[in-house]
Amino acid sequence: MRRTLLQSVFLYTCVFAVAIFTTGPLLWLVTMSVSAPTDLTEVPLRWIPSEFDFSRYGALLDIDGGSGERFLSALRNSILTAGGATAIALFLAIPAAYSFSRRNASMVLLFAFLATIMMPPITYILPLYSTFSSLGMLNKTITLVIVYTAMLLPFATWLMKANIDVLPLEVEQAAFMEGASTAYTIRTVVLPLALPAIAATAMLSFLVAWDEFFYALIFTNDLSAKTLPVAIADFSAGRVTDYGVIASVGVLATLPPAILAICFQKFIVSGLVAGSVKG
Amino acid sequence: MFGRRRKQEKWILLAPAILVLALITLTPLANTFWLSFTDTRISALPTPVRFIGLENYIYAFTDPEFRDSIYRTLYFTIVSVGLEGILGVAVAVLLNQKFRGQLILRALIILPWAVPTIVNAVAWRLIYHPDYGALNSLLFQLGFISDYRSWIGDPSTAMNMVILADVWKNFPLVAYVALAALQTVPGDLNKAAAIEGAGPWKRFWSITLPWIAGPLMVVMVLRTIEAFRVFDIIYVMTGGGPADSTKTASFFVYQEYFNYLRSGSGASYAVLVAGISAVLILFYYSNAKRQASGATA
Amino acid sequence: MPEQHILSVDNLQKKYGDVQVLKDINVSMEPGEFLVLVGPSGCGKSTLLSCISGLTEVSSGAIQIGGKDCTHAEPANRDIAMVFQSYALFPNMSVERNIGFGLEVRKVADAEKKKKVADVADLLKIEHLLHRRPAELSGGQRQRVAMGRALVRDPKLFLFDEPLSNLDAKLRVTMRTEIKRIHQATGASIVYVTHDQIEAMTLATRIVVLKDGVIQQIGTPHEIYNTPVNAFVADFMGSPSMNLMSGTATPDEGRIRLEIPTPQGAPIELVDTTTAPEVFPNGPTEVLIGLRPEAMTDQKLNNGQNLQTANCLLEVVEPAGADTYAVVHLGGTEAIARLSADAPVQAGEMSPITFDLSKISYFDVTSGNRL
Repeated sequence: MRRTLLQSVFLYTCVFAVAIFTTGPLLWLVTMSVSAPTDLTEVPLRWIPSEFDFSRYGALLDIDGGSGERFLSALRNSILTAGGATAIALFLAIPAAYSFSRRNASMVLLFAFLATIMMPPITYILPLYSTFSSLGMLNKTITLVIVYTAMLLPFATWLMKANIDVLPLEVEQAAFMEGASTAYTIRTVVLPLALPAIAATAMLSFLVAWDEFFYALIFTNDLSAKTLPVAIADFSAGRVTDYGVIASVGVLATLPPAILAICFQKFIVSGLVAGSVKG
Repeated sequence: MFGRRRKQEKWILLAPAILVLALITLTPLANTFWLSFTDTRISALPTPVRFIGLENYIYAFTDPEFRDSIYRTLYFTIVSVGLEGILGVAVAVLLNQKFRGQLILRALIILPWAVPTIVNAVAWRLIYHPDYGALNSLLFQLGFISDYRSWIGDPSTAMNMVILADVWKNFPLVAYVALAALQTVPGDLNKAAAIEGAGPWKRFWSITLPWIAGPLMVVMVLRTIEAFRVFDIIYVMTGGGPADSTKTASFFVYQEYFNYLRSGSGASYAVLVAGISAVLILFYYSNAKRQASGATA
Repeated sequence: MPEQHILSVDNLQKKYGDVQVLKDINVSMEPGEFLVLVGPSGCGKSTLLSCISGLTEVSSGAIQIGGKDCTHAEPANRDIAMVFQSYALFPNMSVERNIGFGLEVRKVADAEKKKKVADVADLLKIEHLLHRRPAELSGGQRQRVAMGRALVRDPKLFLFDEPLSNLDAKLRVTMRTEIKRIHQATGASIVYVTHDQIEAMTLATRIVVLKDGVIQQIGTPHEIYNTPVNAFVADFMGSPSMNLMSGTATPDEGRIRLEIPTPQGAPIELVDTTTAPEVFPNGPTEVLIGLRPEAMTDQKLNNGQNLQTANCLLEVVEPAGADTYAVVHLGGTEAIARLSADAPVQAGEMSPITFDLSKISYFDVTSGNRL
């Protein structure tokens, strides 16, 4: 159907509005991060920076500076925590997913898995806090890795199960006929076939862990274990007078997930859609 | 694969995952439940734990502050998920049209989703800044307001401002789910309706929306479950203020635990919040299941 | 004598919930036999193969392979190999590793493995493909690799699950010949599932016809073709299938008089002198008269005395190259007569048809069983 001029105008107005609404806040965050500090305190605001000032990024990426040290150690902790938890969660999720998909494990159990992550974290937080505290494990990256593993596990299991379901069953049967054990079959036949699904699951899991705030807030209290979200909340709550610093921390923390999301959009969107719709 | 070996393998493969979940979620859940019947307090010194039966619950049910926090949470949940649904479907319908830059816009939509929740909160806090915020400046320069306002410093607007920030971050998920569903609407269906004389608006309500209702419902319920636990964005943007106007249930329990150190009574609030969540979760499953069986039928 | 049987299935039952998909299956085969399980879709032939392979557990009954009870053995411990319908090649592995996978699992030394794979590749003429991936192969090549994977371990029993059904018609014929060649070259014992009765006829040393989970008939292709035990087998095996015409058989002075009604009014009358009249002890009987199309022809047959000719109305004439098929309305069915290719016949004309009653079969009208 051809559009009338009026319809076209309306359509492109909507497109423009959505584009502005979606990108505006982000563009402004980036702008703030490179504006001169004085630009940011003008009333009304100066939208286009008088000069481009990248010094904040330099300071944040300088390990010897105060804010640089805070930022970089938080970055390190976030990478270790999210990376470690993603790896362990997948390692546990793949056999579990195989069990759900090929060994008739009950769907009710899978629902129970998923229910654990849908519960508000406040349901678990206090006993976990007491336990970790009595074990002397507060403020440790490993503690967050353990908790995040449990947090990522159900979703990863679910996504992997949906992906193993659609692999050709006969290929696995062939492996069994040839005398391969279940473990050998999973390793040499199922895993290579499921590699794209594993990558997508790993990415989504990493992003979820990267985003987590509540457990990190409660379980960590200094540079040795604080993750980026907690560090950013600190920056924002602290007596920083230059809002550009906060903005640049935000931009840096957004870059890894944004790059992943843009580069692997198809992957991620299909994972998201499948993960949120199918039961 | 034979019965016994299958069964053994089933549990061997599941065991590590079950163990982790039992330790990190099930045990704490049971523990929280137990705590809710005691008067335990968080303290550096070991204190005797006293079983006090339903006392915490009786107090919780009559506590107007807790009740208000539940109402606030419901308000936050309903309004933000509702707006995400409307905006999400609208954007999905837009993205389903043919226009120049369609693929770019589809790619851009993922950006808000990719922004970490805390960064989102921080960014909007800066945008809402009473003196130097972009929102004030923009509205002032466009002539919508004559005086700068303290958007999140004012109890009457704070919650809605938090909701706006939440909607911005979360509508892409709904939009992507709706778009995926829209792409399965058979073109013939719309053409047939158009030939029957149905206008675009009529077609949307009687064909498109019913077609995508299933998946849409599921993602909305999922978002409801998530929104109901809201904490991060509140913590950073308003800290529950001003005048408790954004103090949601999770935040309320958090304060009970870690500000007032009353773990016993905090646990009873937590159990009540968890109970509401459990109802939502069951609702989600019944929906998702219907959706799954409908999709294969 | 169970030890002479390479495979013996006794009283096998398979139920899924309330649905019984296999009933009282009893089959055994000698070493070197090519046993084909054939039947329409849903007859249980694939389930039976799956039970023999161990991928499906039986509800009751016993399975012996090579004289060893395997009823509850894992597939890997049955000394069998299987070729799947989809070939089920490992997509992430080279052809060489695919073929050698069973040896790899059994930790066979590299040199020996390489030699065995090479031998099998030589037999199947796929040496040049060893380093390719399955995705880079044509359907026929994949088929060969799947067979190679089965052959390399030299198991007691080979199972084939509709291996040719994913190939186009021409390739199917080629591969059929290839499978026959390999069977003859290796003397392997093979159980082969197909829904294609031509495949069954051409490949089998013995055929098992299944319907609704029940074995209808076990026999050589010749037995199945010439003396089907019931109307189902008669109809299912052979292409075009056996003509099953309703008529009346009357024993009369040591012979059988047949009347087959036609739509034209006057019935066709024939006299069967081959069959013993005792088949019909109750005098005139309504029966299904079975005659293969080649037993209804215009050709001068000289294979017996029992030839009779009747004039029939040819409703449709279909030239098919080597033969011409003519549809004749007889005994309430569209019977097909197989005429010579250059028969001077036209649709709508009456033409003399020679009936070869030495090949006749009688079936009970209600039960369909052979009389």
